[in-house]
Amino acid sequence: MNADIKCTLVIGSGPIVIGQAAEFDYSGSQACLALKEEGVRTVLLNSNPATIQTDRDIADRIYIEPVDPESVIEIIKKEKIDSILPSTGGQVGLNLVILLDKLGILQSNNIKVLGTPVKSIETAEDRKIFFNLMRQIGEPIIDSYTLVKENYRNTIDTIKKYPLILRTGFSLGGSGGVIIENRDELISYCDDYFSVRDDNIELDESLLGLKEIEYEMMRDNAGNCISICNMENLDPMGVHTGESIVTTPSLTLSNDDYQKLRTSAIHIVNEIGVIGSCNIQFALNQNTNEYYVVEVNPRTSRSSALASKASGYPIARISTKIAMGYNINEIKNPVTRNTYAAFEPSMDYITVKIPRWPFDKFSVKREIGIEMKSIGEAMGIGRTFEEALMKSISSLDIKQAVPMRIFTSPEKSRELMNVPNDQRIFAIFDALFQGIPVKEISELSGYDQFFIYKMKNIADGMASIRPGKIPENMPYLKSLGISDETISYYSKISVPELIKYRLKNSIIPVYKKIDTCSAEFDSDTSYLYSCYDKYSDDKITEKKKVIVIGSGPNRISQGVEFDYGAVKSILSLKKAGYEAIMVNSNPETVSTDFDISDKLYFEPITLEHISNIIALENPMGIIIQFSGQTGQNMADGLSKIFKSIVLGTKPEDIFRIEERTKFSAALKNLGIKQPDFIEASNMNELEEKIKNISLPVIIRSSFIIGGRAMDIIYDYGILQERVHELFLESPGSPVLVSKYLQNATEIDVDFISSKTQSVIAGISVHIEEAGTHSGDATMVLGPDLLDKGTVEKIGAIVEKMRVNFNLLGLSNLQLAIKDGEIYVIELNARSSRSIPFVAKATGINWVDYGINAILGTEPDIKYKEPESYFIKVPVFPFKRFRDMDVILGPEMKSTGEAMCCGKTFNEAMSKVIRIMKRNFHLKSVIITVNDRDKESAIKIARKLTDSGIKVYATPGTYSSFKSAGIDSTVVYRVKDLRLPGISEVIRNEDISMIINTPSESYGSIRDGFSIRNLGIKKDIPLITNIKFAGELIDSIISSKKTGIRELQEYY
Amino acid sequence: MKKYLLLEDGTAYEGEGYGYEGDIHGELVFTTSMSGYLETITDPSYAGQILIFAFPEIANYSVSMEHMESDRVQVSGLITKDAHAILSGGNSGSGFNEFLKANRIPAIDGIDTRELVEKIRKNGTIRAYISSKNEFPGSFPDTMKLDLVSQVSRKQYQYYNSGRKKQVLFIDVGTKNSLIKRLSETASLHIVPYNFDFDSIKFHYDAIFIPNGPGDPDHKSLAPLREFIREKTSEMPVMGVCLGNQLIALSLGGKTEKMKYGHRGVNHAVFSGNRVYITSHNHGYAINEASLSGTGLEVTGKDINDGTVEMINHRELPVFSVQFHPEAYPGPYDSSWFFDEVKKTLGE
Repeated sequence: MNADIKCTLVIGSGPIVIGQAAEFDYSGSQACLALKEEGVRTVLLNSNPATIQTDRDIADRIYIEPVDPESVIEIIKKEKIDSILPSTGGQVGLNLVILLDKLGILQSNNIKVLGTPVKSIETAEDRKIFFNLMRQIGEPIIDSYTLVKENYRNTIDTIKKYPLILRTGFSLGGSGGVIIENRDELISYCDDYFSVRDDNIELDESLLGLKEIEYEMMRDNAGNCISICNMENLDPMGVHTGESIVTTPSLTLSNDDYQKLRTSAIHIVNEIGVIGSCNIQFALNQNTNEYYVVEVNPRTSRSSALASKASGYPIARISTKIAMGYNINEIKNPVTRNTYAAFEPSMDYITVKIPRWPFDKFSVKREIGIEMKSIGEAMGIGRTFEEALMKSISSLDIKQAVPMRIFTSPEKSRELMNVPNDQRIFAIFDALFQGIPVKEISELSGYDQFFIYKMKNIADGMASIRPGKIPENMPYLKSLGISDETISYYSKISVPELIKYRLKNSIIPVYKKIDTCSAEFDSDTSYLYSCYDKYSDDKITEKKKVIVIGSGPNRISQGVEFDYGAVKSILSLKKAGYEAIMVNSNPETVSTDFDISDKLYFEPITLEHISNIIALENPMGIIIQFSGQTGQNMADGLSKIFKSIVLGTKPEDIFRIEERTKFSAALKNLGIKQPDFIEASNMNELEEKIKNISLPVIIRSSFIIGGRAMDIIYDYGILQERVHELFLESPGSPVLVSKYLQNATEIDVDFISSKTQSVIAGISVHIEEAGTHSGDATMVLGPDLLDKGTVEKIGAIVEKMRVNFNLLGLSNLQLAIKDGEIYVIELNARSSRSIPFVAKATGINWVDYGINAILGTEPDIKYKEPESYFIKVPVFPFKRFRDMDVILGPEMKSTGEAMCCGKTFNEAMSKVIRIMKRNFHLKSVIITVNDRDKESAIKIARKLTDSGIKVYATPGTYSSFKSAGIDSTVVYRVKDLRLPGISEVIRNEDISMIINTPSESYGSIRDGFSIRNLGIKKDIPLITNIKFAGELIDSIISSKKTGIRELQEYY
Repeated sequence: MKKYLLLEDGTAYEGEGYGYEGDIHGELVFTTSMSGYLETITDPSYAGQILIFAFPEIANYSVSMEHMESDRVQVSGLITKDAHAILSGGNSGSGFNEFLKANRIPAIDGIDTRELVEKIRKNGTIRAYISSKNEFPGSFPDTMKLDLVSQVSRKQYQYYNSGRKKQVLFIDVGTKNSLIKRLSETASLHIVPYNFDFDSIKFHYDAIFIPNGPGDPDHKSLAPLREFIREKTSEMPVMGVCLGNQLIALSLGGKTEKMKYGHRGVNHAVFSGNRVYITSHNHGYAINEASLSGTGLEVTGKDINDGTVEMINHRELPVFSVQFHPEAYPGPYDSSWFFDEVKKTLGE
């Protein structure tokens, strides 16, 4: 090991966005632990509070600050940093270190970059340099072109082959990739692009339809290079690997193909000079025996997290040891603990990774392609491809996973197979049921026939199920991975009944170890998966044990925040002397790191799989509080199969909370205010009851998650329309219409309950008024946000909730305050999205208190306001979904969050803009707001013009500014068809920010939509809430020098 | 049709039979290789052995002759978890099944292969019997005691003129095609059977090469060959791979021993100095390191996990060999430097 390394700055990847998610928390955490093990002091920079890595258990010094050069410069001043590790921070980490290198900051402070050198990173990242290198070393690549603003038309004339893939700048999750079919399309795109931007366009020959194969490589300081595993994408080239269904290892490559690509991968990482881990993507043409090098990522990535979990080989950890100077023959294999890191994992199982898309939440086009749109992923593990595939689909927690079909016509299924989209896998099942031949399905979908034959085995199995009786071939159906839910769907026998039948007849899976070596060596680690095979190789202990279930694949409203809770609870259980058993299906997470728990079951979070594990392990109980809504929905089923197995708040109480009418009646009894509401099951009932409440209202259907099927409605006609739609979508299920409290302050209260008391962990105040989903709201924790009386009243409500609903463990309460009155909006008897934020802001491990309360230890802690201000800032995926409107409402849209800290509110707020945009300078602002917001807008505009900032306003807004005596420039709306039009101004002027609040009239909605999307295209910060806009502008204008601090300094 | 895998220790495993319908004895071994099923089962080093594929999905792509390492399937029997060929007649059609039938190789599918691998890891290689009946045979013969090399060695002298000047005497003890192919890039090969009348050789050769092969290197049938090698080491370069490696060690006075369960796979790391090579292995016997003292041979590379001798070199003479398979097929090409060494030694 390099003895000069004493203090390392580890770069985190910031908020979760599409293409950069929880996997970097996993890799960063592993890196910190690996450094710690060697006695190196770790300094962590990450703006994302919902991470394990920003925890005292993981890093020595923690900076939850914007991940930008300014922060790094400050940290260098405060800490004695001698080295920096960028490779576990995703693209953010690499981009930052390249920038720091360019600015000379690393050189002037004598800071060594650990792992792959900056020059090598640049070689891999800069497509031009990379392609040149590949040509030099004789590795096959595709034709590519760079279009420069000055002469792009000339370059286009030299292009002979279409289709092409067009990319702009450094790519993240394939952002900005577009398929161009012909010359005309290209010219029109380029004319458009270069009219607003100066940077180059990259064009690549399309490899559509070829097999996409990835290799995860590891190279050490001595030049030893190994392949951890390879991955085969079922979806051929043209679909981003993050959007593909992927098997590990490859299943249709011959030894020749496998070794040819592996050899090429070694050649490439050697030439680039990678130190540590590296992902390489190839396109393979098995008909011609040709291959192409597509892309190289010289860092840990989503794929490397997947490869780690699939193979058992902890890539980030080994990669960090290598960065510290070790070679692979000097590092022990942490899985077996009996062998060395120098070997290539061998698997005796198959894994299938499947993406989780947000199309159940976002009404946008469902086509997928070279850009990443999925939010998360699940991995299924089995002894056969069938079993692994079915387990991965079960893990998705989507409604199609039950019948495994979407019941389309043969014409439609052909179309869905041919054009990549999120339903393709189900369309294939439809096609198999419809009798479309395997060969045709394979041709339409581009999936290798092998996979279609395997899927046919499954389809045939499902087709053999007859309604009304338990299938006789149950063991066979189970060996195909067909879920109890699916068998229930076709047999009409309930899932709990099927589970009871299986348990009674011992139709249960065995559990096998993932050990990196196919059992060739003894392994010390209980990293397990279920399969319907014959022999279990794990030992069941007699210890006191508790099972914790995770939240499955990341999705909108259920993300890494829950994993934080799951991991912390595992650590607490271990500390309390229990055998801590983790179950989860998300390969990106820290909770599925085999080192965290005593036992890890990598399994779908479904009643079936959890029941199997409970039956096997016979634990004292199971904790479902960190599983989001997935766990809450399972509570009832669990209590039907096992008596009193759920620890914490009991299933029957959860039911009383989740069932809207029961909950509401309870509130009434307790004398707690709630917004007026009605419930209706048909239109007549609605029209009758609606008279009791005035507009605006929020409508939602019952058993919601992430606010799906919710909307704020100001107009009676629109209300009727929406409710009608809901009835059509799910007839018979009641719709809830509640009074929308305008201009109310919304509050999130996270608290813990023991048998005798409740303790508030944090009271987070939303900056946006009530109505914005709590996951999308900007929240503040800090001193003096609420008066003492209000806090006391909140405490009393919390205690009433605890007593009435027998709460135990963690809970979250959403309140609205209007005119001094407190209204209860929602109670969740589980850990919330905000719990990691609260933990980081208070410096207190609330999960530990919650777990101990569940185990019977009374908390010896009281509620205390934080000393400093902490703002939770959501980030949104709007860039990915150009056909989605960016307006925030009761439906959640954000993918992740950052935390901004400050000694004052203003200091914290001033960091928000650094999260939104790097190098932000306030020069000019476009303001276009609805009538309700005009007054607030005037205040903002005045502040801006007083500070010499140019203000543009649309006619309505402009005239209200004018009458208030504020000098602004008019810009016309799109529909006005007059100049200067707003699109021209956005395109041609240096606009720093757009403040646009929505209005309901149809024309304005469309207008707003196009304005907002133009802004997003040009990467202009877009603010759609007037209250938030006011706070943000205030902080930017009055910004004094802001400091960054170690987290402890804020307490 | 059900078939049974019956083990010497009295345990029986039932699965779906495929391939040839006859019964067969063999030594039960496993490979952890995840691809290259055809290269694997046609490797003559597997003679006398029933092979378990630890990786469950086998025969996912078609049988093709170009992937064969000899003219036939060499394993005695095959144990798989989920061979694609019989379940759905998929990509490889019924090809694999027919192929095994034609080669008279019985096979069983649907076996929990991991269970067997664990058993072998714990208790060592075990004798086994594949049968269509769940009835134990009277005895379990030790197939490693058979003269296996005689079953796989060429019967006739064959000159492989690759146009290369240097002439190598290549003693076929059960070679893979790839080894011949790789070596012929450096030299023309006089391929002779293992029991050739070496004294009768009239042609000139510059070096001797002994490739891979099955069974116990100390088998009495190989005594004349070992003696011949011993004589020649002081006269000319002698090089070898796998069984060849062991024969060289034995010839010069070293000892070999049967391993508990051997190395079979394509992921074994061999370290030599500070370099690590991922290599392809197939051996159930190994050189005893201590026995090399006084032979002039030194160990230059070992398996990183169990310390097995994987590379030896003579301190003074141009004699060297490796236990692993630098020719790959199946497996990585990482140790193809071995052929550069051969080239250098031959002065090419």
